[in-house]
Amino acid sequence: MRRRTFLKFSMASLAAAAGSTAGVLGWQPRAHASTIYKTFYITEGFITQVTGEDVYFRGFSSSTSSLNIPGESMIVQEGDTVRITVVNTLGTSHSFVIDGMVDSGTIRGGETRTLVFTARNPGSHLYYDSRNAPYNRLTGLHGGFAVMPQGRSNQLYAGSRTFRQQQFWIFNDIDPAWNNRVRYGYTPNTEYRPRYFTLNGLVGRPPGAPGAMDPALDAMADPRTKLDGHLGDRTLIRCLNPGLGQHAVHTHSNHMEWLTSNSQPRSEVWEKDIVPLDGDGGGVDVIFPFNPPPDAWPVVTNQTLAQAESEGRHFAFPMHLHNEMTQTAGGGLYMFGALTDIYYHAD
Amino acid sequence: MGRRRRSSSGDSTSTDTSMGGGGGDMGGDGGGGGGMGMGACYVYPIRQAEVPALDPDPDVVYRRGIDMTIPMTMDDGRTVNMWGFTDLGAGGGGMGGMGGMGGSGTFPSPAMRVRQGQVVQTQLQVDMMMFHTIHHHGIEPEYRSDGVGHISWDVNGMYTYQWRPMSAGTYFYHCHTNTVLHAEMGMYGALIVDPPDGPGRAFEGGPSYDLEAIWAVDEIDSSWHGLSWEAGTCGGDVGLNELNPDYFIITGVDGAQSALSHPGVAVSMNVGQRLLVRYICAGYLPQQIRFGGLEAEVVASDGRPLPRSFRATQLDAVSAERYDCIIRPTRSGVHTVEIDIKHWITGEVLGTARTRITVN
Ligand SMILES: [Cu+2]
Ligand SMILES: [Cu+2]
Repeated sequence: MRRRTFLKFSMASLAAAAGSTAGVLGWQPRAHASTIYKTFYITEGFITQVTGEDVYFRGFSSSTSSLNIPGESMIVQEGDTVRITVVNTLGTSHSFVIDGMVDSGTIRGGETRTLVFTARNPGSHLYYDSRNAPYNRLTGLHGGFAVMPQGRSNQLYAGSRTFRQQQFWIFNDIDPAWNNRVRYGYTPNTEYRPRYFTLNGLVGRPPGAPGAMDPALDAMADPRTKLDGHLGDRTLIRCLNPGLGQHAVHTHSNHMEWLTSNSQPRSEVWEKDIVPLDGDGGGVDVIFPFNPPPDAWPVVTNQTLAQAESEGRHFAFPMHLHNEMTQTAGGGLYMFGALTDIYYHAD
Repeated sequence: MGRRRRSSSGDSTSTDTSMGGGGGDMGGDGGGGGGMGMGACYVYPIRQAEVPALDPDPDVVYRRGIDMTIPMTMDDGRTVNMWGFTDLGAGGGGMGGMGGMGGSGTFPSPAMRVRQGQVVQTQLQVDMMMFHTIHHHGIEPEYRSDGVGHISWDVNGMYTYQWRPMSAGTYFYHCHTNTVLHAEMGMYGALIVDPPDGPGRAFEGGPSYDLEAIWAVDEIDSSWHGLSWEAGTCGGDVGLNELNPDYFIITGVDGAQSALSHPGVAVSMNVGQRLLVRYICAGYLPQQIRFGGLEAEVVASDGRPLPRSFRATQLDAVSAERYDCIIRPTRSGVHTVEIDIKHWITGEVLGTARTRITVN
């Protein structure tokens, strides 16, 4: 029997792998449905946290030699035929599920399974492993899956408020003791006590910290995660929470337009600086409008932003969770948690 | 814990970027690293060259200092130390219902109350060898007035934030340095923006009210309250990922008993009057507020009018959400308002704070 050699990953390798996807920004509306192909490899390994602690994870990865947590996000169009091949490189059973769309059933260790389904239910969804719930999902087997409404390039669902750009914020909370039990095939038997809080698999690396401003390491610099916009660049953010904690998503500089909760469009769009994000698979969709910060004095204009840029100053604000325990790592290290930055740019 | 077997593979070159790694210079550059020999990491002193010019003629100036010794006596007789902002003497602007004048700190910190469209300056004076900031939560100013350390700077010495609130409603201000600890320690106060005509109306074109209550509902984990201001910022496990509250309070008053009758919290009103409840979820944990059988009309949240108000006998909220609720009782009676504070993972109710609306 072949002994398993565990992969060990720096966070850099994860983001680099994820960055290779055409992904979010490459999505264009099409007049006709097409067939979308994607292969996920279920892999495992250790990821070194900012405290130096190595934590065990499993993921839906983009190759046999990577460990993507979360798995690469996908954006498809309503009516597309989606062909997803799941290669389970591990010895344990897993599954691939998108609620209301596809359920692989058990994919045994070593098995390869191709799932074919039609994309429906425009909006934001988690794909995840529903076996051994919630442990496999928490251990990293999850990712974002978006269905664009047919023929629309700028709406979340037909008739929704419009946006110019879109991205995912996938939050997770991590109790290394639970992940370690999953590694050995046991059910966690301790109280859940998360010690790391990630956004798209990364944490903040504040200025001066190792990895700060490295797009592969720093959630405040990762292009999948940080917000970049000119005035008026309305950005749809698909917030998904495979973790267990209930969060308070908080943006500085603009209120968010709150479009959906748990896939349900809200009857009215509220402007909120805090949006509740349920745990255990919850989701919200919000638009960050990139308006001038409304309470600035003097008033902020494109000229203000151009001046800051010419002086080498970042015109930036944070997004962070307001349940502030999530802003820590390993019980301390404030700012090494689930946060990112919002950058305003001049035209 | 046993040593794990590991190997590198693929492109996972083994650059150790962890804090515990050999290359981990604890933030000596980029402004981090807590110079000044204060034993802190990842705090960011003011870069004087980037400090923006101030409006020479502001409408309101607040002057806030720091007090790290604010004993709060709980209903069970125990005393828990709180931190807060002091009022160093305001020039202009009204004082709200929270806190008082004078140089010594209160919990919560003294309220700010301004009118929509006023140019406001908040001076923060930090004399001790430590850092704090003021973030006016929900107010959206220029980034150097936002009070976020890693984006602009943390304050040691004197700094002035400038803002001009453009939406009437309920806000709060709090420290944003080592926030997880400093906000839990009580470094917050109410921030009310009145419409241009002043108090008495929730917002321009919104409902009027005859009296108001500011209920900032918070949980306290007294085991955190012996930590120093920089706890955890250099690493090490100081337990800031786990909040296990043992006190549940409303606007600085213990919600076990005292808040039921405390004049700054409990409400006494007459039939036919309109009460505006400014409810602030000031803790970190999810809450549910129940209005003791009264029905509220919820008219605004997070400093913005709702497109359509709605009626509710209870509301759920998460950290830092605000809801503005109009209550107009039609009968006399005594109503016990209850706020459950729930575990953020399990949803278990950890405690309940109570106050009272007495309708005469
Ligand atoms: Cu502080
Ligand atoms: Cu806040």
